[in-house]
Amino acid sequence: MKKKFVMIDFFLKHISMFFAYFVLLVIFGLFLVLYINSKDAINHFGFFSFITSNVWSPAFDKFGGLIALIGTFLTTVISAIIAIPIALGIAIFLVEICPNFLKTPIGIAIELLAAIPSVIYGFWGLFYLGPLIEKYVQPLFNATLAKLPIVGQYFYGYSSSVSLFTASVVLAIMIIPFTAALTRDALKITPDLLKESAYALGATKWETISKVMFRYSKGAIIGAVLISLGRAIGETMAVTFVIGNQDSLPTSLMSATTTVTATIANEFTEASSHLYLSSMYLLAFILFLLSFLLIIGSKMFFLRKVRD
Amino acid sequence: MRKRKIKNYIGLSISTISAFIGLFFLLWIIVSLIEKGFHYVNWSVFTQNAVSPGEEGGGLKFAILGQLEVVGIASLLGIPTGILGGIYLSEYGKDSFLSNVIRNVSDAMTSIPSIIIGIFVYALVVVPMGGFSVLAGSIALALLMIPIVISSIDNMLRLVPNELREAAYALGAPKYIVIFKVVAKEAIVGIVSVILLAISRILGETAPLLFTSFNSNFESYKLNKPIATLTVTMYDYAMGPYDSWHHLAWAAAIILTFSVLLFNIASRLFSYWRFRR
Amino acid sequence: MKYICKIDGKQKIEVRNFNFYYGNKLALKDLNFCIKENTIVALIGPSGSGKTTLARCFNRMHDLYPNNRYEGEIFIDNTNILDPKIDLIELRDRVGMVFQKPTAFPMSIFENIAFGLKLKGIKNKTELKDKVEKALKDAALWDEVKDRLDKLATNLSGGQQQRLCIARAIAVDPEVLVFDESTASLDPISTSKIEDLMVELSKKLTIIAVTHNLQQAARVSEYTLFLLDGEAIEYDKTNIMFTNPKDKKTQDYIMGRFG
Repeated sequence: MKKKFVMIDFFLKHISMFFAYFVLLVIFGLFLVLYINSKDAINHFGFFSFITSNVWSPAFDKFGGLIALIGTFLTTVISAIIAIPIALGIAIFLVEICPNFLKTPIGIAIELLAAIPSVIYGFWGLFYLGPLIEKYVQPLFNATLAKLPIVGQYFYGYSSSVSLFTASVVLAIMIIPFTAALTRDALKITPDLLKESAYALGATKWETISKVMFRYSKGAIIGAVLISLGRAIGETMAVTFVIGNQDSLPTSLMSATTTVTATIANEFTEASSHLYLSSMYLLAFILFLLSFLLIIGSKMFFLRKVRD
Repeated sequence: MRKRKIKNYIGLSISTISAFIGLFFLLWIIVSLIEKGFHYVNWSVFTQNAVSPGEEGGGLKFAILGQLEVVGIASLLGIPTGILGGIYLSEYGKDSFLSNVIRNVSDAMTSIPSIIIGIFVYALVVVPMGGFSVLAGSIALALLMIPIVISSIDNMLRLVPNELREAAYALGAPKYIVIFKVVAKEAIVGIVSVILLAISRILGETAPLLFTSFNSNFESYKLNKPIATLTVTMYDYAMGPYDSWHHLAWAAAIILTFSVLLFNIASRLFSYWRFRR
Repeated sequence: MKYICKIDGKQKIEVRNFNFYYGNKLALKDLNFCIKENTIVALIGPSGSGKTTLARCFNRMHDLYPNNRYEGEIFIDNTNILDPKIDLIELRDRVGMVFQKPTAFPMSIFENIAFGLKLKGIKNKTELKDKVEKALKDAALWDEVKDRLDKLATNLSGGQQQRLCIARAIAVDPEVLVFDESTASLDPISTSKIEDLMVELSKKLTIIAVTHNLQQAARVSEYTLFLLDGEAIEYDKTNIMFTNPKDKKTQDYIMGRFG
């Protein structure tokens, strides 16, 4: 009996230890694999030249990451500008304004929406949002914002249901539920006692929210935002459907362009030359580094206590 | 004072309005999904295989079965790994430095873009194997699952009060019995909820499959051959030129959404049940 | 305290020159005393005095956690249980423990009691049934649960769960049973039921009961050990110690918390 116990205990300890350490193995492996496979592109183009070059030409075997990186940057920023205020609004609404009996159903609805795969959002964007933008928003922009001096040119566009703008809106809609759920959790950590003290001092509801709750959960909220940004830059399917997949720099919000993830998704399996493939590994490597930075940033702000 | 009241009113109104805007869009998506999706879902979607491009009709049978196979194998790979890893963190590593490093890394990995995992598996599995395969796709999805499962199981087991463990040790139990017959049993409902949640997470993934299980027009379920999956098929059909393909893509969209939500809701039911005990 | 073993009966446990360290911190100092067979010894003292620490030495619970160190000897009959070569699983067969909070396992009542038995290798269904029934009867729980042995044990009340834990511990026929403040979380009626149980069990087992409830110590125990800051201040027959304590510190503690 005892021998059996000792043997099984021994196996269990070491097998479970292996699987736990496996995670470390994967992340190191990830870094290595991406780096090694990008080396050719790095050596050939130079890391910083690659980042700043807007040439993406399979025909001439010459590649630069600027187009994809700008696409990723712009879609992320624009979607964040749209999504974060709305998500914050939803979070505030859920925590402070919503009547109690609705809090749970709406909260659950938000979490379910966050669970919907991103490919569905992209899909919906292609068949619904895109055509709507083409039909209504583009003429609207053309008639108004596009007429502004200097910045007007950035709003001009016609006959395209796929564009930087469409992709950003789809991305925004996709990250709203996720961000809202996280920010709601972040706001919830404010102790009731603190809120009550504010009210007792005669603060209005809005003042309590903005001056007390925000200040208290500042770290958690920033962490939540950073995680959402991390999700946005790494999103593939929500964007690929509607970005237009053109390897050229966007000249306006309505241009078709590409992002790092969209480029990889569309061209990885068609890479005809070694340098082509290596360039895509390099794009992936850069994306990996960027999202890792965001994750570390969010960890520094976001105390995990919120989740428990 | 009036100024503060106005500010209050404005602030709260803006929040409420943005909440409704957000909720409106989300509702719109669900409604259009259901409306269009149901329209195109019929029996043949489930029973027929894809036909040549441009032809009318056809179904998603192969794609659905392919999805089930890839997700199934991924679960077989990822869930035990995640559970054992979680057991190690909670019951052996506890609060040691290295264990906390693993916890943080694991948590970070849940936010890594899934397409990068796809590329990783491409380089490590597809290239050596000489081609796309079910196995590669399953490995990619498993790699996505493992960090989620490890963290959740770790958290779930740590909630089990220590007295329970001590009582088992006091009766002369060896560690593996304490873990599996007492601790895991106590947390079993939570463990099931975690498994269901992990499955719902990978069920809708497309990007990691793009260069691993790829796609296939030939009905084959061999582990070392590529396969059609619902998500990738949906992507291909949606981007394609044919209306019949678009209709099937809608059907795929609603089937996918429905399945993902099913697992998610089931996971929540278990989680709710856990708290009622 | 000088070594004293003036008990009027057969000796079961002997603690000799015993020190215990949590890491570098000395938690139990220079303990020397012995315990008579088939009796109840109460361990009393203020919080932090080391009574639970001492109690958990008898079944070497401290071995579960790193950085703990035993020094000296504890003999049960003639075996030094602190010897590193000792098989802990066998030790925990001989020395059982009931904890402060009820710790019913998430399984049926029957499975809870049979837990220790199955670990010992007993597989015969009849034998298991008999031993479970005997343990439940000895723990005064049989009548209350005999019709629902296959129901979840965690649905029992707190007092019943604690008696379940006692039944579980005695099912494997231990020689020594340690109660670590086992009635602290129970209502007075359940507490009194368990106290009666302890007295009844002490006819066949040696019981060590940690308690912060002096009335309880006075009610059930034959001997009492008073600990303060990890040191044994006094050890004597309960009725003597409570009416005529020899050490002033004992007197202060007892008078302060009693009467």
